Order: sequence, then structure tokens, then C-alpha cells
Amino acid sequence: MMLEELLQQLQAISSDAVASLNAADSDAAIEAVKNRTLGRSGAITALSPQMGQLPKEDKRAAGLAFNEAKTAIQKALNDAKAKLAASEAASAPAVDVTLPGRAWPIGRKHPISQTIDECCDIFRRMGFIAVSGPELETVWYNFDALNAPLNHPSRDPQDTFYLPDGRLLRTQTSPVQIRTMLGNKPPVRIVSPGRCYRRDTPDATHGVHFHQLEGLYIDKNVSMADLRSTILKFATEFFGPDVRIRMRPSFFPFTEPSVECDFSCVCCGGKGCRVCKNSGWLEIMGAGMVNPAVLRNAGYDPEELQGFAFGFGLERLTMLKHRINDLRIFSDNDLRFLKQF
Amino acid sequence: MKISYNVLKDYIDLSLTPEELSDKLTMIGLEVEEVEKIGQVPAGVIVAKILSRRKHENSDHLSICEVFNGSETIQIVCGAPNCDAGNIIPLATIGTVFPDGDKTFTIKKGKIRGVESFGMMCSARELGLSEDHNGLMILPGTYELGKPLSDYTHPDTVYTVNITPNHPDWLSYWGIARDLAALTGSALHFPAPAHIATELAGDWSNLVEVEATDLCPLYTARVLRRVKVAESPSWLKTALLAVGIRPINNIVDITNYVMMELGEPLHVFDLRFIKGEKIVVRRANEGESIVALDGKKYELTNNDLVIADTEKPIAIAGVMGGEYSGVVNDTTDVVLESAWFDPASVRATSRRLGLASDASYRFERGADRGMIVPASLRAAQLIIELATADAVSPLITQEQPMPEPRIINMKYDRVRNLLGMDVKSDCMDKILTSLGFEIVRKCESGATFKVPTWRIYDIFGEADLAEEVARIHGLDKLPDVKIQATQSDISQDAILHMTELREQLVSAGLYELVSNSMMDEASAIKGGIFTAEDLIRPYNPISLDLSCMRPSLVPCLINAIRYNVSRKNYDLAFFEIGHVFCKNTEKFPEERDELAIAITGCAHPERFSKERTVKYDFFDLKGIVESGLNARRLKSFSFKPGSDPRFLPTCCAELIIDGKSAGFLGEAVPELTKGIRLNTPLFMAVIQLDVLFSAKERSQYYVPISQFPSVARDVAFVAPNDLTNKQVIDFITSLKLDNLEDIAIFDIFEGDAIGKGKKSMAYSLTFRAADRTLTDDEVNAMYEKLRKNLAEGLKVELR
Repeated sequence: MMLEELLQQLQAISSDAVASLNAADSDAAIEAVKNRTLGRSGAITALSPQMGQLPKEDKRAAGLAFNEAKTAIQKALNDAKAKLAASEAASAPAVDVTLPGRAWPIGRKHPISQTIDECCDIFRRMGFIAVSGPELETVWYNFDALNAPLNHPSRDPQDTFYLPDGRLLRTQTSPVQIRTMLGNKPPVRIVSPGRCYRRDTPDATHGVHFHQLEGLYIDKNVSMADLRSTILKFATEFFGPDVRIRMRPSFFPFTEPSVECDFSCVCCGGKGCRVCKNSGWLEIMGAGMVNPAVLRNAGYDPEELQGFAFGFGLERLTMLKHRINDLRIFSDNDLRFLKQF
Repeated sequence: MKISYNVLKDYIDLSLTPEELSDKLTMIGLEVEEVEKIGQVPAGVIVAKILSRRKHENSDHLSICEVFNGSETIQIVCGAPNCDAGNIIPLATIGTVFPDGDKTFTIKKGKIRGVESFGMMCSARELGLSEDHNGLMILPGTYELGKPLSDYTHPDTVYTVNITPNHPDWLSYWGIARDLAALTGSALHFPAPAHIATELAGDWSNLVEVEATDLCPLYTARVLRRVKVAESPSWLKTALLAVGIRPINNIVDITNYVMMELGEPLHVFDLRFIKGEKIVVRRANEGESIVALDGKKYELTNNDLVIADTEKPIAIAGVMGGEYSGVVNDTTDVVLESAWFDPASVRATSRRLGLASDASYRFERGADRGMIVPASLRAAQLIIELATADAVSPLITQEQPMPEPRIINMKYDRVRNLLGMDVKSDCMDKILTSLGFEIVRKCESGATFKVPTWRIYDIFGEADLAEEVARIHGLDKLPDVKIQATQSDISQDAILHMTELREQLVSAGLYELVSNSMMDEASAIKGGIFTAEDLIRPYNPISLDLSCMRPSLVPCLINAIRYNVSRKNYDLAFFEIGHVFCKNTEKFPEERDELAIAITGCAHPERFSKERTVKYDFFDLKGIVESGLNARRLKSFSFKPGSDPRFLPTCCAELIIDGKSAGFLGEAVPELTKGIRLNTPLFMAVIQLDVLFSAKERSQYYVPISQFPSVARDVAFVAPNDLTNKQVIDFITSLKLDNLEDIAIFDIFEGDAIGKGKKSMAYSLTFRAADRTLTDDEVNAMYEKLRKNLAEGLKVELR
């Protein structure tokens, strides 16, 4: 065969293959073109012995032509495969993205725990450390050391749960304050959140247990102005920057002077509504300067040291925050309730 | 306690509006709980008279009345049954505005079924004066026609104030006026006369004998003759009704009135009923009894103080008078008692008898000994005036010496430092003296004060004086200060690690519960870990359902699961953290923190097809526990087959931390879930937090990461069914194969092909050196060593 003739044949095979591949719409069609050109018994393969019979000076041109044809077919093969894959992908059924995802499970802390954590967090930022203590307490820690008079009605078995051995279920978390002062040198700056017990008949606003958070700050120069600023900071952090506070004189054996601390109503902003009984204020916490008698009971010298204490109910705060109107729902533990927080 | 704005004005020149007063009272410490407007009639309601009445032609219940309004006669259509000619009635003239809930409505000229009407005649309820709505309010003939009705209805504001137990001095108008005067500087008017004329013949000095001088250091009595018991005048009745005291007769009303005025409870005896004309103040004899004014008989003991005559008790001192010694309609001669009784004694008697009164309320909080005589004078004055007593004995007094007045030193700087408020020294002096404190001595840095008789129950030291200064100076003047830092020795935050644990559990998909700590005995001991004797119980539980302290959180979780399943919440993943209690110190020392987890139902109820029905199993629970423990970087923890009666013996693991038992997990026994309509098994874990929180943490030092490739080998064998994963891993680990990085089980199966009582286990091993690429020969040597040892050491058949 002459070089001329060989080149023509190669050209014909190549263009026929490229045309067939461009039109191929299945893997089988592509495979067939490959077999009849580049395959073991394909046309190109069949032509290659012809090259040996060419004159020496034509061999180089023939080699180039073979490579050209092979490359062109190979490229067309690749293109056809890619085209086919793309068209198959395009026509494949789409994922129904509206089907439910597989949940990456996340639970929720109980709303009371969330309040405890949030309160502790706010007070930590102001330098308070959270401490805890036992729920079974002695009368001394729960009442005597806190300067509660012997005839104080809260000591009555009508109001407080007692154990047969004379101890009681703590009615407040203040015993933790006494324990902390007795165990630590001043200054102390603590909050003690926890569960307390009072012998109330359960209803929408009372339960046999409730959670309380109390704070205590004792140092040389801690004043009532510090108390007010601390509470104000807490109020605005917890309920938002618009909350105002009001302190008014009150009475607690534990503190002297004693105050009630009201927050402007978080429901009506202080204009007056059902929640605040139209007063614009919500009674939130009792507070005051720690009574010198309490400091003495805790082994601190009231001539040297002074400070403030405050306490409030965490259920009440949680109820106000989430507009919950019945306390009992907290311990029902209904999943539909817990999921909301 | 209720107080009337109008009455308060008798004792102080009050320039405050009723609204301002409410605020001031609250801000000096008398919390106003309720403000009530009484006798308030809308402007425009006048006194009018019906001149004539005829039937409305187009109605069978309406009438057309001619009404005289004081200046002219107008026509009113009225539906009341009693709009008869001649009646004096309240007339709301055109333009009168009535409150109507949150809104108002205005009286307009109108046509009612074709007849013009120029106003509305009112019932008492329509005016807010009472609940009476049976017909028009009929007014007395003495009311002047055309005058505003409010001229006659005594409009007043009544405050319900909450008086803290440290302030018995506020249990009277006078006491409240005194504090308001300190606040506002207004002038006070003391109502009691300094003396009254006495001209009763006879020697009355033996009328009173006080035996129990410890409980009654001051007793005064005065005889008043020829009183006329009658109805009180209307001003007196109005004053009492305003604060909720029912008028009885002039004598009783006067004692109540003076009690409200000056805070001193008084009592009046009919002289006829005092046998032997002698009053003995003594302790009751055992076995004595008295019928009190409430008509009930009270058995007395030797601890009760009584007022007696020569035969029997005639009053329970400071609590209540006797039924047969008080004032009756034909009483003429009376004995007026004003005395100071020991607070503790009155409290004890009142409590023991379950009998409380306005008098006992005041005496047990502490009456003002300095007010005993003025109160007696004031009552005598009123009895003379209103009950026309015409002969009065001198005051008969039995008195022990007054205790030494309490003296308190106060340093101005210390008060300023305590309050954090810059109150000038003379401002403090002024506040305290206006409250009745007397300056005994004074210097630049401080002063010494004498505590007034009405504050001895509350004022003991400097801090108490600081409170007085603060509340009168004004707590609203406390300045804003920067919150300072503190260097405290306490650094261990007791809540933070609880919060961390909660957050780990939440991130594993669990919801936190907060349950009651109290429960019934059956729930508490269900499961067989605790016995009835182990339980801690208050001796005064509120009910049997809440009679035991929870010994574990397991029953709490079971309760929550029951609650939710009965509400068709089936797929549950819960945990709770809390204190649990046990009396048996062999089980645990009384009170500790526990964590309990419960899961039941399907793991992915939100998905579909097969995946939707995949149920939680033991390994979901174990995985939650393991991830929690891993997150805490524990140095050493493991699980081994456990035994706890709350879990099935075939599915129970014990958690071991640092070699100590830290709790159990497994599938709950059917006893625990009895009665709950559960369709899926319940898996629970109980973990003791003292063990968890005291666990050692593993080293936090960095381990270099090898840069060289790993080589993997698998090994599979047939083993007896009871060979555990842990035994295999422990065995392989014990061989100390060089460069063995990791061992992990990748397959386990049982079946006929393997043989009964056997299982096939397959492990993949990863080898890697820190400093070089391992050669096949090295790895193969270790692998061969392993295979050989497994076959010999564990008696397994290699596959």
C-alpha cells in the first residue's frame, strides 16, 4: 500500500469513528466504536502492519498519522463518555429534599435549670461564685444562725418539714451562706442556687419544693449602694435594658436594713396590668445588709466587716420570663412542654 | 391592716393626694397591697325628689316621673319598681360620667320608647355604694335637694397595708402619722387629752390587784358611772366601717376607735359583773375555764394570764373578754382597762387556744407602754362625750418600774459607709429625732440615742438606726456605683460542673426533668434496692403521696415516663440531676447527687420507612454514657456485667470509674414499668455524681502524631458465647504487641454454621510506628504472635 492510500484510510476511519461517537447515546454504542477502531481486531489495529511495508522515508509521516487518528478517536471516546454520564446524571431521579432530615439529637435543659444557669452566669460576671449545700439541714443553720426569732412563724411545723431527729428540709438556701462564711476567710462573694422546701399545699403558685437563689457579698466596705447596683445589673441582664428597680423598706431577721426589691413589670413595662396588679411593679426579691448578729454567728466580726444578701425564687423568675401561669407544669415534665425551651 | 385617708388626716396635716400617700406609705415601709375608693359618687349625681309617677304607654314596666332637681322639674323615664312620688333619690344629671370596666359611659338626653328623658335615677349598685340593685336608692329626707350626693357619701380612700412584724408601732393611725411627719415635716395632732376631770366619790385604790407582775407590769383601770349605751354617732361608725370594723355600741366602738387611733387595745367591763368589785390580774388556775365573747368555752392553764374578779376569770388578758362581763344594753357603770401585757405570754395563750383578736395581734407584737395612760384618757374623754358618763374615777394604776431605756451609739461615718449614701450628720439627727429617738450625747463623729418606748421591739443597734435613716431619707436616693472586683479565697464553683454535665447530656439529645423530691412509699421502694426503713421521711408530710424523700431518681423518671406515655408521647429520652436521700448509711450516706437517664421508644421517629421504627437499645444508652464520660476526659472507666434488681440480669452493666462502682445501666425490669402502656423496652442509667466528679482526669499532655503509614491486619475466631469483648481486648492488650495502635471489633455473629453456644468474633488491628514505616515482616511477626496466643490463651478456634 502506498503512503497516500494509508493516510486516506486512516483519515476515513478516524472521521467515521468521531462521527459515530458524537452520536453515541449508550455505553454499548461507545464500546462498539472503540472495538471496531482501536480494539484488538479494530480497523486501526489492522492497518498498523501496513506501516512496515512502506519505504523508509514514508514511515515517519505514517507514524504521525497513526498517532493523530488514535488521539482523535480517544478524545472523542472520552467526550462521548462524559456527555453520556452528564445526560444520565441529568435524567436521574432527584433527591426529595423535602423529606425529613435525620435528627442530630439535641435535648433541652429544664427551664428552671436554664434560669439557674443564666442567673449564675450573670452573677459570675460580677464576681460571684456559685456554691451549694445540703437540703437536709439543722435548725441552727436554717434558722438560729440566720437570726430568725424563736417564735418566728416560719419555724412552725405547719410551715416547715421536720425530720424525726429534729433536723429539717431547708426552707431557704441561706444556710449555705452560713456554711460558706464559717468555712472561708472573708471576703466572700457567692450565690447559692438550689432546692428548698415549704409546707405549702400545692397550687398554681406554690409547691412543696421550689428553687431559690441567694447571694451574699461580705467585705470591708460593701454598701447598700453596691447592693442596689448589683441588683439593677442583674435585672437588666436578665429581663433586658428597660427594666427599672425599686427598693422599699421591709423586714427580714437576716438583714438590717432590709428591703424588698421590685422590678418594673416585665409584662406591661410598668404601665399597670393584671400580672402586676396594676401597680407597675413586681415584687421579686428580699434583700438587705447582713445583720451584725448573723455575721457574729458565722464567726465574722461585724465591727470589721459588712455586706449584703439577697434572695429570690427561680420559679417566679422563670414564670415571668416565659409567661407561665401555673407552677405545677414545671414538675409535670411533659415532653411537649420541655421541648419549648 | 386597713387605714382610711380621711381618718388619718385627723392626726396629721396631710398635703398629699390619696395616690401620693399610697406611694409614700410604700416607700417608708408600709407596703400598700390594695387601694380602695369608697363612697365615691360620680360628679353630676345630685339629690332629687320624685314629684309624680305615671305609666309609660308603650311599656309595661317603665314609668314616667316628674322629678325636682332643686331648681326645676324635669321628666325622667325610669324602670325601677320604687320610683314612687315623694321618694328622695340620687339623680345622674345629663353629662354625668360613669366608669364602666375600663371604659366610661356618659348620661345623655334621650328618648325611651318615644318619651323624652333628662337623666337617670340610680340604685346604690349603679353608684358603686353597695350591692343593692332592687330599686332606686332611697335617700333620707334630711338631704338637701340639688346638692351633690357626694356631700353625703363620705368619699374616702382605704389602704390595705402590709405591716412587717418589726413594726407594732404602725398598728395605729398615730404611729403611721408619726412616720409620715418625719418624712414630710407636716404637723401632728395628738388626740388624747393630758387629763380629764375626775369627781367620782369613793376609794377605788383597791379595785385592782396585779399578782402576775412579770406578765403585766402596768395595769390601769378607771370607773365611769351612768354611761348610756347607745348607737355610735355616724362619724364614729363611718370611721370604723371604713377599716372593716363592725360598729356594736358606743362604748365598744370607742375602745376599737382608740385602738385604731393609738394602737393600744382597751377593754371595758360592766362593773356589775365584777364580783367583789375587785380586778385580779393573775395566772389562771389549772382547770379554770372561760366563755369568751365569741361564745366559745376555753380551758385555761397556769401559763395563761387572766383578768379575774374574786371568783373567776372575766377576760383572757390581752386576747378576749369574757361573754358575761362585757358591756350590754343596760350597762350603766363601767371599768375601762388599759394595760400592757407580756408579748410572749399573749402569743402563747392565743396560739394554744387558737384564738386571735385585734388585741392579741397588737399585744403579741408589742404594745407601747408609754401609750397606756394616754389611750385610757382618750377613751374616757370619748365615753364622757358620747356616752354621757357623768362621774369618773381617777386612774387606778398598778405599775412596776419601767425598764431602763435602751441607749445606742451611732457613728455617722459608719452609717454612711453601710448605706453607701452621703447623708449629712445633722440630717440623720433630724430624721431620728422626728421618729422619737432622743439625743442623749452628741459629738462630731457620732451621737447616742435613746430608743422610744414604741420601738424597743425592733431597734437594738447601729444597723437598725441606719435603716431608719435610709427609709426616711429615701432608698431611691441610693447612688449608682461601679461593681467592684473581689479577691476571694473561694474558687471552686459548685454549679459550673453541673451545668457542664447538663449541657453534655442535652447535646446527646436528652431532655432534662425536674421532679418532686417527695413521693409515696410504694414508688420510692419499687425496684427492690431500697426498703421502707431506708427512707427519710419528714414527720409532718403534707400527704401520703408526698411522704418520703426520693432515695433515687429512678422513680422520678418512671413517673415522668408514665405521665408522657399516657399523653401519647412515646419516644422519650430524659435525664434528671438532683439530690437523693437515704437513711441507711450502708447504702449511701444520707444525701448525695445522682444522675439518672431513661430512654425508650424510637431513635428517629422524625424519619420514615424502616429507619422510623428503629428502637432505642442498650447500646444507645451506653453510647450516651460513654460520650459523656469521654467528653469529661476521664482517665479510667469501664463497664462490666452488673447486678442491680432494677435491671434485667441479662442486660445490666456496672460502670466502674477509677476502680470504684459509679452506677448501673441496663434494661428496666417489668416491675418498674408495670401499668405504663409502653410498647418498647425502657433503658435506664443511674450514676453517682460524687464518683463522677471526683474521677481522675487523664493527662492533658500532647502525644506526637506519627507521620508514617499504618498497617492493618484482621483476625477472626470462633469463641464460646460468654467470652466478652472486654476479655478479648484485655487479652490482646496484655500481649504488648510492638507498635499495636488500635484494636476494634468489626464483626460478631452467631448461627448454625458456627455451632451452638458459640459465636464468631472479628477484630481489626492497626499497627503503626512513631519513627518509621513498618515492614511487612515486622507486622507479620506480631500478627503471628497474636494468632498463636489467642488460640492458646483464649481457647478460641482461629478462622
